[in-house]
Amino acid sequence: MSEQPVIEMRGIEKAFGRKPVLQGLDLSVPAGQTFAFLGRNGAGKTTTIRMLLGLLKPDAGHVRVLGLDPSMDPLAIRRRVGYVAEDQTMFGWMRMGQLLSFVAPFYPTWDVAWAKQLSDRFELPLKTRVKHLSKGQGVRVALLLALAHRPKLVIFDDPTLGLDPIMRKEFLRELVTHLQGEHVSVFFSSHLLYEIEPVADSVVILDHGRVLRQAATEDLRAQVKRLVAPADAQEILRGLPGILDMSISGRQATVVVEDIIAARAAMAAAGVTAQEIDLNLDEIFEAYVIGRRKEGKDVEPHLERVA
Amino acid sequence: MLSLIWKEWHEQSWKLGFGSLVLCALALIGLHSRIIDDESMVMFVCFLGVILLPVLSSTGLVPAERGEGSLESLLALPVKPGRILAAKTAMGVLLCAVPLLLAGVVSIFAAGGREMATGAMFALYGRSALAAISLFVWMLALTIRLPNETRASLLAIGLLIFWMLATEGLRFPSVPPLVFDISPLAFVYRRETGRQEWRIIWSLSPLGGVLIVQAAIVAILWWWASKRLAGGEGES
Repeated sequence: MSEQPVIEMRGIEKAFGRKPVLQGLDLSVPAGQTFAFLGRNGAGKTTTIRMLLGLLKPDAGHVRVLGLDPSMDPLAIRRRVGYVAEDQTMFGWMRMGQLLSFVAPFYPTWDVAWAKQLSDRFELPLKTRVKHLSKGQGVRVALLLALAHRPKLVIFDDPTLGLDPIMRKEFLRELVTHLQGEHVSVFFSSHLLYEIEPVADSVVILDHGRVLRQAATEDLRAQVKRLVAPADAQEILRGLPGILDMSISGRQATVVVEDIIAARAAMAAAGVTAQEIDLNLDEIFEAYVIGRRKEGKDVEPHLERVA
Repeated sequence: MLSLIWKEWHEQSWKLGFGSLVLCALALIGLHSRIIDDESMVMFVCFLGVILLPVLSSTGLVPAERGEGSLESLLALPVKPGRILAAKTAMGVLLCAVPLLLAGVVSIFAAGGREMATGAMFALYGRSALAAISLFVWMLALTIRLPNETRASLLAIGLLIFWMLATEGLRFPSVPPLVFDISPLAFVYRRETGRQEWRIIWSLSPLGGVLIVQAAIVAILWWWASKRLAGGEGES
């Protein structure tokens, strides 16, 4: 029997005043996975995360986190979830040791030995005041606080923002790999796609409060491709199913399709051959978010940027 | 809860020391040097406490923490917002009451029974502390969603001016008696029956009626504030 999803959101609507932020959001995160939650600034990522923690209530729809409703049991969820916020600010006057002593009583499952192990591993000086820590150390403090109670689910809201590239790599490769080894589910919101790509099992692309695509990372890479064909085949390319983006540059027409199998069949039927190019997550995201936004469903070709 | 009180104590205790030092020093110097009569001096210290302490405490508890960004971290902990606010309120009550009561003790030691009866002195300091607490809750409730201490201070000062005008300054018949009755300053002022005139109260009685009205107002304001502490102001 398959495990219950750790996060389930159905038909979520949320508006701040007249501005809609989430519009019918559907999301399902399987247990034990590292789930990349991708979107541009303002797409609705932080609002979604605040809803998962019970810090915001949806206007419509239902949310389940670890089988619980955040509107009804926000404290039970927060006790079982680790959360690292974007640009998290701690209590600057506290010393590291004081901060741990302050936070620990709120979590019944707080593991003192594990907290000590993490603080050693992250090289955090227990006697230093939080305000005197560097940016990188600040992120590591937030991580320590999110992990020391051995959560079942960890939610990261752009946690590597402000870290140097080496630390970001260390964070993703070591920490996320460690969490995956412990079968902890990771919900990772980010817009640094090239970094999250190696560790993400599944991806959801969010734009303007709607999910554009949710898929396993491998499936997404296998299905979303760029096709390059001579410019005189542009009419046929425009008629392919699931076009995300299209451009014409000189004698070449380029399209990004979200289902290469259907596109291959359509091209074979029309007698057109095209070169298939693999895309990384960054390019896939761009095709979904920018490509669709430009033209809507009926994608019109545009002049490609000159490199 | 103890963790929260410990945190608030560490963050706010300097204000307790500062407020106590200012009021006690002022009372001691003023009463010792006898620049003005004892009654005026006691009234001045009480007045300063009632305007200074609620502003200082209410703006530093929530808006300052919101401005620093650490309130988000606090609200994301598995603890009810009501408990967070309760710890902050407890600290605010201490900040408003302790300096005035300490100044009262200092005044009584310095000049109790000299020009004023000790009981009258004690009554005014006690009533002033209650007025400061009531004003603090008003300010806490109204400034709880403001993003920083500066804006909160401006609003708190505005509220203070409003109540001072409504209670003492606006002696027009058009001001409804209800405004006088719900004023936090009703602890220290009494409306003379049949006249739109106010008198400072120099005794502890009658206190019951005012206490009941003020306790009800404070409870409603606090409940409203606790609903607004963890409001949805964020956006993605």
